[in-house]
Amino acid sequence: MEFEDAPRQHYSEKEKQEVFDGEFMPHIHSMYNFGYRLTLDRDDAKDLVQDTYLKAFRFIESFQKGTNAKAWLFRILKNSFINDYRKKSKEPSKVDYQEIETYYNSEEVDRQITPDLRVESLKDMIGDEISNALNSLDVDFRTVIILCDLEGFKYEEMAKILDIPIGTVRSRLHRARNLLKEKLKSYAQSMGYNKA
Amino acid sequence: MATTSNPFLQADGKKPTCMEMLQSILDGDATSDQKDYFKQHMDHCMPCYKEYNLDMAIKELLKAKCCGGSCPEDLVSQIKSKINSSAT
Repeated sequence: MEFEDAPRQHYSEKEKQEVFDGEFMPHIHSMYNFGYRLTLDRDDAKDLVQDTYLKAFRFIESFQKGTNAKAWLFRILKNSFINDYRKKSKEPSKVDYQEIETYYNSEEVDRQITPDLRVESLKDMIGDEISNALNSLDVDFRTVIILCDLEGFKYEEMAKILDIPIGTVRSRLHRARNLLKEKLKSYAQSMGYNKA
Repeated sequence: MATTSNPFLQADGKKPTCMEMLQSILDGDATSDQKDYFKQHMDHCMPCYKEYNLDMAIKELLKAKCCGGSCPEDLVSQIKSKINSSAT
């Protein structure tokens, strides 16, 4: 459960409670949102967050006080999702990373992917369109958007949370943004925008 | 406009593409020098200007609509009670 190669800590019961209340609990709303965006179910999100916090408490001596608690908790939640929840519910998603790397490194990346999606049409998306578009992405793509755009994690933090190289974080984010734009373009078209 | 060296230049001297510069900005990885450079770059690169505005609008929309608010009220108390019961 180690996040860094930090030495094992020794906390008194009082210190454990202080770390838990002072460093872990402040992230509970972000954690719940992450859990919900992964499972797409509020009850499952609640279970996942509860399970994550119980694990965090159990392994609290692997956490060094004052370091990046949020990233550490997000990593535990992500691992719980993969190991416990995803296995129970369905086949893990399959993403062709070879295809993504090829795509990212190709000459074509500089072309405009969605020339006909406009800022003006986004302004009319005041309902659930953006949320639905995000939720419809494959979970691996959804995850990097959540970590970067909703939670503001940096490449290095995302690489540690997801156990993937920084280059893969970058390419996955790039692909995720384009897929999201494609979804939003479909919504914009269905609302009557961008007709050729 | 003063010509400044490109702060996006990589150690091997490779010049980044527009897409690579834009991605660094969007992903929150750009330094303030890189952000300033890109702002100047957009003044004479219409595709970057349009793409940047669209991408930033999406990012803002995501933050405004997908951050989810608060967790259920009873979740905190449930977690605390489980921890307290396991500690005793």
